[in-house]
Amino acid sequence: MSTALNETKANWEPLIVAFCCTWCSYAGGDLAGTSRMSYPSNVKVIRVPCSGRMNPMFVLRAFQRGADGVLVAGCHPGDCHYTTGNYHGRRRLSAFKKLVEFAGFEPERFEVRWISSSEGDKFAEEMETITEKIKALGPNRKMRDARWQSVT
Amino acid sequence: MAERNVDELKKIRDVVSQDLLGGRIDLLLGWEKGHYWWQSRPLFAAREEDLEKLTWDSFCAVNLSRYLLEELKDHQKVGVLVKGCDSRAFNRLLQDNMVKREQVILYGLPCPGMLDYKLIVHYAEAEPVGIVEQNGQVVIKTAAGEKTADRQQLLMEKCRGCLYPDPVVYDQLLLEPQGVKEVEERFKSIEELESLSDEERYAYWEKELSRCLRCYACRQACPYCSCRECFVEQENPRWQGRAYQPSENFMFHLIRAYHGVGRCIDCGECQRACPVDIPLQELNRKLIKDINELYGHYEAGLDNETEPPLLTYRPDDPAAFSEK
Repeated sequence: MSTALNETKANWEPLIVAFCCTWCSYAGGDLAGTSRMSYPSNVKVIRVPCSGRMNPMFVLRAFQRGADGVLVAGCHPGDCHYTTGNYHGRRRLSAFKKLVEFAGFEPERFEVRWISSSEGDKFAEEMETITEKIKALGPNRKMRDARWQSVT
Repeated sequence: MAERNVDELKKIRDVVSQDLLGGRIDLLLGWEKGHYWWQSRPLFAAREEDLEKLTWDSFCAVNLSRYLLEELKDHQKVGVLVKGCDSRAFNRLLQDNMVKREQVILYGLPCPGMLDYKLIVHYAEAEPVGIVEQNGQVVIKTAAGEKTADRQQLLMEKCRGCLYPDPVVYDQLLLEPQGVKEVEERFKSIEELESLSDEERYAYWEKELSRCLRCYACRQACPYCSCRECFVEQENPRWQGRAYQPSENFMFHLIRAYHGVGRCIDCGECQRACPVDIPLQELNRKLIKDINELYGHYEAGLDNETEPPLLTYRPDDPAAFSEK
């Protein structure tokens, strides 16, 4: 198949998609940037209006098209810009995480974190941690669309 | 060849024919015999002579409430025969605002559980030509002779885990109630799967789902799949690819199951309708089990007042991820 599938662990770099809520986590990422903190470039950030906006199909599509790990980051419970979005998101994403694990994904492949707009350091730290975890796990081949080559 | 109780059928027919002829209902949803003696398919009875075909045997597994979505477009008042699972399916549709209560008359049929033809064949070890039921025993007739089996042994997978054989909502109860059943091992197969490693579980599902034809029969039979436009047919964005490959099969089955979180009534219609025997109910039961463990016990379709778990929250909810 494609060269991406024959990659050895040595030269392989993980691709991680981070869905960040625009009010807290995305702003936290901004703060990490303006504070000149560095975090791995493996993480590609996608801005969503709220963690409650997360459609589980976003996560599966990411896995289909090359993601080795997916992270959803939202405001801390109680701090949601829309008051209750992340409370609902917490229930939905919990059920969804259980389901993807049941389907055979390693628990580390899909994670949820709460990062506020003042936590630039936490943002950088979490991105660092998840990248390390995914690196240790190796490339994800589950649910990969055979027609889709890894972009990394 | 498969009649269980002639008196029961007569009683049902008497009541519904009175209502149909008296104009209390325009249409009756029931069952009639299908092509084979071990099949009972939906019957749409609008005239007196249609009621002749009405049947009530151990193969009336089809959930009739789902058919209301179509039939209520053309009829003002529809009567439906409901088993336990059909009645919870009706509640589910009611909760989703898909049907109006005043347009439907429910005839409750407490259900002893439906039989699985494949198990009958397996047990008879020959091609069965018919069955006779009496006192919890099933006599299977084959060309080679007769064989008697315990009724419980021949129950469909979906009926083994059934907690509510009696209708939970009805206008008129036509038969004697069965009472709430004790089910011990509802989640046994789920726990077995959970104990496997991630790789083994993925291999299991990849193998099971590889048979999927994506005929969407599971969705058509399902009482929670009542969306007017389903994600699999949406063109923009096109979430569900048309290609026949594992990735797309996972996409469909995970999302189909996920749409049932806190809404699935565990009637097992998806699995029964599946032409390639994918254990779809396992995905649904897994979600029922998890949501019950996380957010408290909830059985979908029992009533219309309790809010489904994903429509509500508590500030101190637990979460399935390491960060609370």
